[in-house]
Amino acid sequence: MKMSKLKADAQALLFLLPFLAVYIVFTIWPMIKGVEMTFYKWTLIKKMKYVGWDNYQRMFHDQEVWAAIWHSAIFVILTTPTMLVLAIALALIANRQSRLQKLYRSVFFLPSVLSVAVASYLGLFIFQPYNGFVNTLLHLIGLLPGHQEIFWLTETTLSWIALTLITLWWTVGFNFILYLSAMQDIPDEIKEAARLDGATDSVLFWKIVLPHLGPITKTITMLQIISSFKVFMQIYIITGGGPLDKTRPIIQLIYQTGFRKNDLGYAATMSYLLFVILLILSALQYWMNNRKGADAR
Amino acid sequence: MKWVYRIVSLIAGLLFIAPLVWMLVVSIKKEGMKIVTLVDWFTPPYSFAVYHEILSGTKLTNWTFNSFFVAFCVTILTVVFAAMAGFVLSKLPFRYKTVMFFLVLSGLLIPGEAVIIPLYQVAKDMGLLNSYQGLIIPALASPVAVLVLKSFFDGVPNDLLESVQIDGGGTWRIFTQIMLPLNRPALASMAILTFIGSWNNFLWPFLSITNDNLFTLPMGIPTLMSQYSEDYVKPMVVNTLASIPIIVLFIIFERQIVKGVSLSGIKG
Repeated sequence: MKMSKLKADAQALLFLLPFLAVYIVFTIWPMIKGVEMTFYKWTLIKKMKYVGWDNYQRMFHDQEVWAAIWHSAIFVILTTPTMLVLAIALALIANRQSRLQKLYRSVFFLPSVLSVAVASYLGLFIFQPYNGFVNTLLHLIGLLPGHQEIFWLTETTLSWIALTLITLWWTVGFNFILYLSAMQDIPDEIKEAARLDGATDSVLFWKIVLPHLGPITKTITMLQIISSFKVFMQIYIITGGGPLDKTRPIIQLIYQTGFRKNDLGYAATMSYLLFVILLILSALQYWMNNRKGADAR
Repeated sequence: MKWVYRIVSLIAGLLFIAPLVWMLVVSIKKEGMKIVTLVDWFTPPYSFAVYHEILSGTKLTNWTFNSFFVAFCVTILTVVFAAMAGFVLSKLPFRYKTVMFFLVLSGLLIPGEAVIIPLYQVAKDMGLLNSYQGLIIPALASPVAVLVLKSFFDGVPNDLLESVQIDGGGTWRIFTQIMLPLNRPALASMAILTFIGSWNNFLWPFLSITNDNLFTLPMGIPTLMSQYSEDYVKPMVVNTLASIPIIVLFIIFERQIVKGVSLSGIKG
């Protein structure tokens, strides 16, 4: 480019400026400001007093924090593998030639555009005993005797199941589309050649389709782990973190500590714990991807 | 085998649509009816009375507008800002380019949720709480959008840019007349994902807004719901009304949305 160096620099900066300004003020600066907050007793009204490492010490001995981290981890463990299996299964359905093919695609993706609040409240009412959709459906098809009710949201294990089902229903659409387009990328010649060699549907799936989905699976797994770890709103609405805080995830605890207990300093300290955990998860994922890549060569 | 496949597909499809159908049916039931079995939900008497009540007696339409307005502004500005930044990082030589690139890249590692507490303090210091600006501006800092668009811009051959320069075109013309039109699918994809993300954004409005005239749907809905403990009808009317606009948008733009999502997987 034939411009003076200075002019080129100025021009580049001008293009960068809008993004950079917002990014620095609302991401980088809070990140730095947050470190300061962790060393203070800091309320919603104002900075109170310097407390040194107190917030950190308190955090490492706080059972509630570790329980909340564990609950977020449970949510990751429950949603990630089920998400992958469901997304692949739905993609297989919608990839098959049929009159309903387009309809399936729409129906599987549709819940993903709903507002998180709508999906959560729908979930809350669907899993109510007596009149809720799930229990009345189970009664109707005879899986649940007429006089029995399942109390989905007052028992810890059942709550987790309900939360997982709602989350899968609401968010599987994106991953389903990613798998569907990956499946459609497989050249028809490969499939036809395999068929001529006498491959059945299941051989075709295990030997050709599934290996082809490897790269996108890695991406989806990584994004799913991180986004599941950051779960908040579904749980907040559907179980409120209950019963007895047994499903309360870390972000809910951060919110409650900061805004209900008026302790922003301690909440900020927990945020950094969350940050470090997410950083480790990303690093782990990056390392695993690269290692697997190296093995393949 | 084919039949098994078809039946399983059909059941999956029905299970996916069932909650929404149920929502719709419950929303037009008369309030206070005795419900014993699933069939009771699906049989008359029906009534739209509650729809009138909710539409005239609550701020739901107001909140729907806010959600659209905020999502619209966030989408346009995010894409414009990210395209400009992505273009510079991809095609313009300048000092400190590497530093800038790593500054943006490091943003990928900072999840919004982890800085939400100090962000609250910063926004409060700047007087941004309880304002549209406060809902919109902090959401524009999307390093992901910059990096994704940069990687698409990298695919535009440099020869093309040079030929425009030989014709006397400046940087702005290269940006608006070459880069943007050539990457329309990527920009559309980014816009769609940003819109859906903003539409669903809950945590930030939840913390930063207390004035109920400025609520977005994810915030307003819980406020309404907490008042309805008697019946299922009102909550499902609220859910239905809040979903109609976005579902209509989905039906109109389905092809673009699906394309946008699948495109995001390629570079993501």
